[in-house]
Amino acid sequence: MRKRQFKRNLVAYSFIAPNFLGFAIFTLGPIILALVMAFAEWDGNNPMKFVGIGNFIELFKEDRFTSSLVNTIVYSLFTVPFTLIIALGLAILLNQKIKGRNFFRTVIFFPYVASLVAVAAVWNMLFTPAKGGIMNQLLMNVFHAQPLKWAASSGTVMLTIIMFSVWKNMGYYMVIYLAGLQGISEDLYEAASLDGAGAWKQFVHITIPQLKPTTFFVSIMLTINCFKVYDIVYMLAGGSNGVVGKSAMVLVYYIYEEAFRNWKLGKASAAALVLFAIVLAITIIQFRGEKNYAND
Amino acid sequence: MESKKTNRIIKNGLVYAILIFLALMMLVPFAWMISASLKFNKDVFVIPFQWIPTEPRWKNYVDIWTKIPLSKFTLNTVKLTLIVTCLQLFTSSFAAYAFAKLQFKGRNILFLAYIATIAVPWQVYMVPQFMFMRKLGLADTHLAIIILQAFSAFGVFLMRQFYEGISDSLCEAARIDGMTEYGIYLKIMLPLSKPAISTLIIFTFVNTWNDFLGPLIYLTTESKKTLQIGLKMFISQYSAEYGLIMAASVLSLIPVLVVFLSLQKYFVAGITAGSVKG
Amino acid sequence: MRKRILSSLLAVSLVIAGITGCGNAASTSNKAEAQTQTADAGQEQKDDAQGATDEAPVTLKWALWDVSSTVYYQPLIDAYTAEHPNVTIEMVDLGSTDYSTVLGTQLSGSGSDFDVVTVKDVPGYVTLVNKGVLEPLGDLIKNDGIDLSLYNGVTDQVTIDGQLYELPFRSDIWVVYYNKDIFDKAGVDYPTNDMTWKQYDELCRKVTDTTPGAEVYGSHYHTWRSTIQLDGILDGKNTIVDGKYEFTKPYYEMVLAQQKDGVCMDYATLKTQGLHYSAAFAQGNVATMNMGSWFIATLISKIKEGEYTDCTNWGMVKYPHAEGVEPGSTLSTITALAIPTTAPNKDVAWDFVKFVSGEKGAEVMASTGNIPAMTNDKIVDLIAGMEGFPTDEASKEALVTSHTYLEMPANDKSSEIEAVLNEQHDLIMNEEISVDDAIAAMNEGVQAIIGQ
Repeated sequence: MRKRQFKRNLVAYSFIAPNFLGFAIFTLGPIILALVMAFAEWDGNNPMKFVGIGNFIELFKEDRFTSSLVNTIVYSLFTVPFTLIIALGLAILLNQKIKGRNFFRTVIFFPYVASLVAVAAVWNMLFTPAKGGIMNQLLMNVFHAQPLKWAASSGTVMLTIIMFSVWKNMGYYMVIYLAGLQGISEDLYEAASLDGAGAWKQFVHITIPQLKPTTFFVSIMLTINCFKVYDIVYMLAGGSNGVVGKSAMVLVYYIYEEAFRNWKLGKASAAALVLFAIVLAITIIQFRGEKNYAND
Repeated sequence: MESKKTNRIIKNGLVYAILIFLALMMLVPFAWMISASLKFNKDVFVIPFQWIPTEPRWKNYVDIWTKIPLSKFTLNTVKLTLIVTCLQLFTSSFAAYAFAKLQFKGRNILFLAYIATIAVPWQVYMVPQFMFMRKLGLADTHLAIIILQAFSAFGVFLMRQFYEGISDSLCEAARIDGMTEYGIYLKIMLPLSKPAISTLIIFTFVNTWNDFLGPLIYLTTESKKTLQIGLKMFISQYSAEYGLIMAASVLSLIPVLVVFLSLQKYFVAGITAGSVKG
Repeated sequence: MRKRILSSLLAVSLVIAGITGCGNAASTSNKAEAQTQTADAGQEQKDDAQGATDEAPVTLKWALWDVSSTVYYQPLIDAYTAEHPNVTIEMVDLGSTDYSTVLGTQLSGSGSDFDVVTVKDVPGYVTLVNKGVLEPLGDLIKNDGIDLSLYNGVTDQVTIDGQLYELPFRSDIWVVYYNKDIFDKAGVDYPTNDMTWKQYDELCRKVTDTTPGAEVYGSHYHTWRSTIQLDGILDGKNTIVDGKYEFTKPYYEMVLAQQKDGVCMDYATLKTQGLHYSAAFAQGNVATMNMGSWFIATLISKIKEGEYTDCTNWGMVKYPHAEGVEPGSTLSTITALAIPTTAPNKDVAWDFVKFVSGEKGAEVMASTGNIPAMTNDKIVDLIAGMEGFPTDEASKEALVTSHTYLEMPANDKSSEIEAVLNEQHDLIMNEEISVDDAIAAMNEGVQAIIGQ
């Protein structure tokens, strides 16, 4: 019995080894070092100096860090559910037999692969702070509201970034959902149809549960990617001078500044460890949920 | 019966209306790129934006090949992307099979470690990683970029989730028939996972193709540089040639779209009768 | 099993830590030690440098950016290698957008083989010095008898704790560019080399036209903090790193009023739209624009190539000045060369740095239309004599400065101070807070940083 168990383990490790070796040496190792760095002062050259939790104390005293933390959480809280629901809806829609399906799929995936400069330029044309902009005209003439300054105002900059992010990334997650939908056996739907289940019932009782592994993947990747958001903030809030104020500061932007402008790699690592802890907690909660489902 | 039919027409009309609206929203950036690629830099960001340039500068598409060694860069990028995509596909689908379908000690912890590393921003471990790679003599080599990209946790996670969705009974039956695990992976799992493989190919391809900071830090010799570094060469300290950048960007999009479109046919396997329709 | 995995992970990380740790130990030496070493090296170095000319071939690796669009790298190398045929110089382009990040990463640890690095800006210089990766040059300068006064005092502003780690070879000053056609059309006199800020403001307003669809902007301020905030340090009474910013108020008020009256473009739009200052000026509806002298080369070449058609008739004048201050004070930025502590060929590298930053390098720089850090009348003549440079006397005269102030003097905390100032600048110009509140926030933020 023990021998069989041993052999089974060996087979499993042989599957994992090619990827794991590369992963452990070149990624996991440096990451562990980086996390150790969170408790040290290091500029990349002079010897490391251990400072215990000094970096964390410094972080939480800093306005820029706490607002970056809050902004990142707010951003994720809105972006994750919206992107997920829209991506799922689009995937279901484009999994049906409709004319031009491939065209629509490609087009919706497009903003994800297009040059960020182009996507942001078009976005800024719609959401320009000038009164003549399309969205502001819409606000003034249709909704009789005050024009907004969008990315140029600290009140609306996060809103603008969230909308932009959903628009840019929904195609990416739609592709993942489309792949997940292909894995659902047709028999399930046929059986349900015979039992007289309608479209909604089929969706709730077959599609949703069958997509659970995919949803697990999408929600975790979305959460992680939201917590790691950086380039679109730099693009939209930074604009032509790259100045990102407290109202749009996000964690990775803060990390980038600490690491490469101030060369405080220890402090940057400490901020990353905070990010890491949050994401890990979310992942473990979802992981537990997934295992429960598997045991059902 | 009649009302059901009109119902469906209305429904379909609505679906198409939404899709066409979305498609337009998504295509505008593309139109912008093409339009900008035919302009002088000074006219690119001027508002109101001129969608059809009065004097299209087709010369931009010629200049990009002469101002920088773009063909060399493209060749490098193609090489890197192909190698990384193949390696990534092989190693991660292999590992994912173990995580999804085999019981072994340390499975959950190892898997969590994989996911958790995705959460660490690269900016944080970039410097120690670079110093380590340089010690191994890998600075300024394509091998460094391949190693960085090919063993990502992302691929393992994606494939594992898809295998989870495949019923365990298939594997059990094969095991009873005396098939080895390697056989099950090769003969049952791989053929079943075409949509997931396609997804992984698309994502890996796009990521490697568009990777910028990695090659920028590691590759210092001109002849080893990649397309994305080349694009940034048009942004110099005191001026930026956005007309040229967009011309090169439009061209660099083509391979990505070709890959995406050619893999589309693997996305039609499963359900054909739509669940919302009817 | 779990234990085993954990222990193997630990082993891997220890190996990495060990490797990087060793690298550090080898490369880092405290400042005192480094200084004594270079003192010795300074003595030997003279003989070496002389010997090198007819001895073994040497290849210098030079870190820089924008090889394809910078006109002076190759002429500088050619001029140097003509004198030193045994030296080959290899340019390594790290790109301009992320130059400081890439250079900082490359110089981390001990594995770098760069002999000469270009330093892009002062905050980047300070971080490299703090990292201890740059060779102090003080003794070398003393031994070779280099006259630092030729650099117009700029080197004093980048001296850190009494030690100099870079030698500038390029210096850019800020001037006011103007479009003569607009002034001619409006029948307004051209700007002059002797304007107070008040006269400048009046002039801008005179040529402004706010007719929708046919706007003419009297002035243009790029979204950088420097274009407005730093106007205040030109009277020589204040600096940007003192933690006191009341002096910026009149300048912010002037520009905000201009923005409100449509004299200049709206900051918020300019920022989100991403319009480059060169494109703004090239539209032909901007009458004046304050910008660095690097723009001269762009203007000349783009007009020659036929891209800029609406600003071909341009001129430039000195920066406006505060009441009661003599004209000719302006801002400057420097580009400098430094030698990494890990450089394999330090002696030859120093010889090259000396050459590029010295008189011969300066002439090469000027002949390509760029202002060298070391200036004299001959250099001004060279630049003003370039084809495409405005022919009026005032434009040539504008190149002569009385005082130059670095956009950011070397300060231990310069990158952190800059972050505070940038953010408040952004808020003021977006009209989100009053100038007084922003100044209070700047004072508080910067004082907290300095006080650390």
